[in-house]
Amino acid sequence: MQAAGTIEDRMQGARRSFDTLKAELARVIVGHTELIEQLFIALICGGHCLLEGVPGLGKTLIVRSLGEILSLTFSRIQFTPDLMPADITGTNVLTDDPSGRKIFDFQRGPVFAHIVLADEINRATPKTQSALLEAMQEQSVTVGGKLHRLENPFMVLATQNPIEMEGTYPLPEAQVDRFFFKLLLHYPNREELARIADLTTAPPPAPLREILDTAGILQMREWVREVPLADLVKDYAVRLVLATHAHSEPANGGPALVQKFVHYGSSPRGLQSVILAAKARALLAGRPNVSFEDIRVMVAPSLRHRLILNLEADAEGIGADKILAELLQQVPEVP
Amino acid sequence: MRICALRPRAEKAGRGLISEAETLAKSLSDLLAWEKVKRRREIFSSVCCYSLLGALVLLPFHVWLPNVSRGWTPLVIFLLLSPVLFFQQRWRKEDSARALARLDRALRLDERAVTAWEILPREKQSGPETFVVTQAAERLRGLEPKTLFERQLSWRDYSILPLGAFWLALFWLGVGSPVNGGNQMPRTVALAHQLREFSRDLQDTAQREGLSESLKMGRELEKTAQKGIEQNSSDEKFKNELAALANKLDAMRKPTAAQQPRAVGESDQTLKDLKAELQAARELLNAPEGANRSGDLDQNMLQRLSLLPQLQKQFDQAGPAFNQDTVKSFLDKLDKEVTGEMDRRTLLEAQQFLDRLMKDGQGEKSDTDAQVAGRQQRDSPTDGDRAQTRSNLPGKEPGKKEGVQPLPDFPAGAPAHVKGMIGEGGSNGLVFKAKPSAGKTEIPQEEVLANYRRQAEAELNTERVPAELKETIRNYFLSLRPGEGNR
Repeated sequence: MQAAGTIEDRMQGARRSFDTLKAELARVIVGHTELIEQLFIALICGGHCLLEGVPGLGKTLIVRSLGEILSLTFSRIQFTPDLMPADITGTNVLTDDPSGRKIFDFQRGPVFAHIVLADEINRATPKTQSALLEAMQEQSVTVGGKLHRLENPFMVLATQNPIEMEGTYPLPEAQVDRFFFKLLLHYPNREELARIADLTTAPPPAPLREILDTAGILQMREWVREVPLADLVKDYAVRLVLATHAHSEPANGGPALVQKFVHYGSSPRGLQSVILAAKARALLAGRPNVSFEDIRVMVAPSLRHRLILNLEADAEGIGADKILAELLQQVPEVP
Repeated sequence: MRICALRPRAEKAGRGLISEAETLAKSLSDLLAWEKVKRRREIFSSVCCYSLLGALVLLPFHVWLPNVSRGWTPLVIFLLLSPVLFFQQRWRKEDSARALARLDRALRLDERAVTAWEILPREKQSGPETFVVTQAAERLRGLEPKTLFERQLSWRDYSILPLGAFWLALFWLGVGSPVNGGNQMPRTVALAHQLREFSRDLQDTAQREGLSESLKMGRELEKTAQKGIEQNSSDEKFKNELAALANKLDAMRKPTAAQQPRAVGESDQTLKDLKAELQAARELLNAPEGANRSGDLDQNMLQRLSLLPQLQKQFDQAGPAFNQDTVKSFLDKLDKEVTGEMDRRTLLEAQQFLDRLMKDGQGEKSDTDAQVAGRQQRDSPTDGDRAQTRSNLPGKEPGKKEGVQPLPDFPAGAPAHVKGMIGEGGSNGLVFKAKPSAGKTEIPQEEVLANYRRQAEAELNTERVPAELKETIRNYFLSLRPGEGNR
């Protein structure tokens, strides 16, 4: 049993690190505080994120800055229809060894980095997408019958453009489910836009400082899983996930919108995601336990891509976020 | 050196943790105990409120409910409802979790209390779990559950007093109580009251009419009734007493063959009239001018006696030639017979009453108080009762079986007419007056012609007679004159 003082130090340390990280990122990124928090939570939970937003909102900048600040290696893959799996994973090339013999040498692909930005992932063919998604799931790639472990920590941040759907290959539901979070980038407001103009047209700011190293991140990953979760709070998360199913029991409080518009509800991965993210949020808040509020905040990023809506929802412009918001209102914290 | 210095600190810290856990456990158990008390009070007030509401709803229907006094209804509902509600709303584990979640919300503990409450019973606690307990204990130190969660009065609490007052007011006003004021006396006592009432009426009648046997029986009935009222004897015993009285009455009212009075077939009213006339006749005879020396009744006296119709009838039946002595003895004898018959009938009435009373005692429809009070005014025969008509009064001869009327004797060869029996329902008939046979009844010819004209008019008003012939037919019947038929 660890002394209470040590645990308190750990909590305070995690909170301090995160506050510093936010402050440092705020030097180069305007707004998106919520997004940054959610990205960091996904990182310390060991999850991958699907970012959705129109071009030019700073997706690449955020990811690259995060990599810099955490002293993690970063690579970017621009997905195009002609991109091949080998372009991602790497390939064996024929080279000469020092003795002059011809040998196959494995050239690592861009996936061999701590943070991989898969830009416009829906533009590549499903075959290429699968290569990346397999790497995400297994944290390893197999080329020429040889297994190659990926970096640890390893995080994929895939982006999708919601407006240009022509010539794209939307990700299958089973693959979308493998993303820990689906994060939405919103257009900046007036003040934020003015600050962006100032930052980008002025002399470049000083380079970002390293806040957390790889070991620190891995340590935090362990701490996250140790955060206590009351059965009552866990039950709330379970009831929320159950309520996303159209045919769930009425006792779970499934709202009318779910009954009407949801074709399939969240998978158990959704519940894992909600609980783990809530634990990470509690840790970053310097709190020793998970609260109902943590669960509530983490529901939308964890479940929005896991609800499969029907055509009626598309026709009426009902999104997953609206259904989840309704669900949060309907399902009571304590039954 | 350094280890030695750290050990007391660690021990101190360990003791601190244990005491914090104990403190937290005590605080949480205090809170839960208070919540349980609040729950019990809530259930109690709910039961009180619902009991009063139920009693109010049931108040108007109390007459039809099982034999529970109106005043006990709320208590009965309370006793029935409380086990159900106390069981249904008993304290469960989820209630504890709810109470702790409410505490977390009230003190903004971010679910520390509920998490610590779950962690506390665990034997082995991890570092973060211990930290949660420590933090919760710190925050909940000095917790005053009674101050923090004061008892909130619900609408049920507020409604108890007004409902109670309302119910008391209705109870006091007698809403839902039976018409007799709610004094639901036992059945035996009620029957005894009826019997006493009847016996008093009987005695009054007997005294007025000079009926000695009836008076005696009336007193006996009153004595039995009084006994039944005072001793509140059992149903069975009282019914036995009534049966004994009925038997006694039966024995008393049966006349011997020698005592067969001549007024047996007369109606009650005739007997009363006869009795009055006998009294008048006796007064007439006792008057100074009522007797002459020779002992024969003078013509004037006979004339005056003949003005008394019932008495005259009796004289006619007895035969002619009365002198004063024989008239007196005849009148005495007749008076005795009439009184005896009236006595017998009164006793029969008493016996019938007793029979009815015994039936009532077996749960049949009982007389209402109004009927008891107005016993003298008998009701008209209703379903299931036998009418008090002359036909079912005791007669001189044994009765015949009713229903099937015996056919009369038909002499062989002679024309016979059987009178039909008119049953229930309407009947239709047309009277024809035929021409009389010689030497018998004769109908005037004008009447026959008028009858023909009436029938002709009736036929002319129908469509059976062609319209163009109607006038001719009418003229024909109008032209008929008496005497024309003979020509």
